[in-house]
Amino acid sequence: MTTVRTTPPDPGSLEPGPAGPTAMTPARPGPGAWLALTVAEARMVARDTAGLVVPLGMPLLILVMNGLSPALDQVVPGTGGRTALDVYVVPLTLTLVVAMVGVVNMPSFVAYYRRAGILRRLGVTPASPAMVLGAQAVVGVAQILLGIALALGVAFAWLGASPPASPGVAAGVLVLAIAAMYAVGMLVAAVAPTPGSAVALGLVAFFALGALGGMFGSRDQLPEALAALGGRLPFGAAVDALGAAWAGVEAPVPALVGLTVTTVVAGVAAAAWFRWE
Amino acid sequence: MRGPEECRKSRVRVVTGGTRAATATLPSVVGMTALVAQHVRKTYRTRRRGRPPVVALDDVSLTVAPGEVAGVLGRNGAGKSTTVELLAGVRAPDAGWVRVLGLDPRGDRARVRTVLGVQLQAASLHGALTVRELVRLYRSFYRTGLDPDRLVERVGLGASRDTRFERLSGGQQQRVSVALALVGAPRAVILDELTTGLDPEARRSMWALVEDLRADGVTVLLVSHLMEEVERLCDHVTILDAGRVVARGTSAELIDRAGLRPTVTLRSDDPGAVDLLAALPGVERVDAAGSRLTVTAAPAPVTSAPPVDLLQTVGAALAAAGVVATETRLRRPTLDDAFLALTGSPLEAP
Repeated sequence: MTTVRTTPPDPGSLEPGPAGPTAMTPARPGPGAWLALTVAEARMVARDTAGLVVPLGMPLLILVMNGLSPALDQVVPGTGGRTALDVYVVPLTLTLVVAMVGVVNMPSFVAYYRRAGILRRLGVTPASPAMVLGAQAVVGVAQILLGIALALGVAFAWLGASPPASPGVAAGVLVLAIAAMYAVGMLVAAVAPTPGSAVALGLVAFFALGALGGMFGSRDQLPEALAALGGRLPFGAAVDALGAAWAGVEAPVPALVGLTVTTVVAGVAAAAWFRWE
Repeated sequence: MRGPEECRKSRVRVVTGGTRAATATLPSVVGMTALVAQHVRKTYRTRRRGRPPVVALDDVSLTVAPGEVAGVLGRNGAGKSTTVELLAGVRAPDAGWVRVLGLDPRGDRARVRTVLGVQLQAASLHGALTVRELVRLYRSFYRTGLDPDRLVERVGLGASRDTRFERLSGGQQQRVSVALALVGAPRAVILDELTTGLDPEARRSMWALVEDLRADGVTVLLVSHLMEEVERLCDHVTILDAGRVVARGTSAELIDRAGLRPTVTLRSDDPGAVDLLAALPGVERVDAAGSRLTVTAAPAPVTSAPPVDLLQTVGAALAAAGVVATETRLRRPTLDDAFLALTGSPLEAP
């Protein structure tokens, strides 16, 4: 502190003190505000029971139901002894977790915050409404990591799955997949006028991406063009790239390009169309 | 006249029970206008093509000095909330300008946000968070501010502090929203429909809170459609109608400007009563409806002569003439009457 006032102001004076508003430093919310917002978002997510259980429970159920099938214990040739469970079911499960949180849950929160005027309300505080979106994204990632930890725990401990042959690649692909799914989710949040329509649009996007990406069975049964499209859209691309990381083979280029392009295109479109109120 | 130091002392004492830390680091606004809107115009585009835009505000000017409690009155759709949004920097005016404590709310967003508390109408909050969690969350946005727990008590939500926002009654939610507008210890507060949805008791407790803010030297802009609220709390009132300022002044000035004067009503069967009363000094006219008479006071004299006490004049005259009258009552015009007179008939608008 360099400018400490040593003489008290004349109590009878109505003259303004030397510090006018221009001398004020704009107090941007600090780390405390970020922490408080993140905790608040975590509470919101934790208290939304359906939104908490479905992304954690449904992928786990699909993992276990598939994992109990003996057909999946067959070793896939050229994967260093990895089974179909390793190179297909586990990547599918992880992708499901990412997609459910990113494409269904997150946009429904964002649309609710906008509809209820919460973004508007935050806009008149020193916190920006963008901060609440940031905090929501952080909490979503935490939820994704929790879902992935749960799924991998069950897969490794109970179903006898193997860890990925290239863990670094697997982690990198997960980051890319999260970015792509979040971008799609933000696009859903940007175009959905109401919280209800955000859930509906999110589910449509989720099932469309999932169907083309092999959620309901192998893409081999799809017409060739659709199968190729599915491998480039984020769901199929994430499954393919994670499968490659598990098998230790080179990740398919169309999948990586697809994830990157989705992130950029959906992200830019979401930013262009997003409405704060 | 209350000096700034006195204000500061009472600030710590009254409202917030000593929770206003670090007030001294906030800028002094004495001698400066706290809230200003000058010749503001705002139009909204209509959804249908080809329709002209809707004019929400047209040449609206508003000034609130530091420490004043000012009111904005108007019917639904008069432009009250648009005025709030322009001052809060949520929207930009098409023409004219606004200043909050000398700052441009859009150009100086960050600074304005730290000194201006806003209660927005129809803005909800994180529904699954409890009262205390919400107040603490909003407190974290400000470097200095009030103690969240004491503030929750002060707005009368102590018993529901651990209840989720979505499970509160409308009136309780309203009080949370008021608490959040105050939690950053703002120098100026805009309260949009402060007491909407509150029961009479809670309404009175909110009015007491505004009185405390005044004692603290906080500038308050109270947007309302409740005459009683504005008449009771505000130093001056701006009446908006259809996006224009119809009148501005103290309640008494507005009543005066509307040409409204006190009346005495009474019941008398005496046939001579009308002529007797109409001849009295200070009486403008007497209207008779059967046995019911309404005596209207004459305009206040321009000279410094003391105003005539109408009730006493009428009572004394009746007694002197031996006229029997019952149900004699004085009725002073209220801001409500002034509002109707000023907005209801455009010809009378200044």
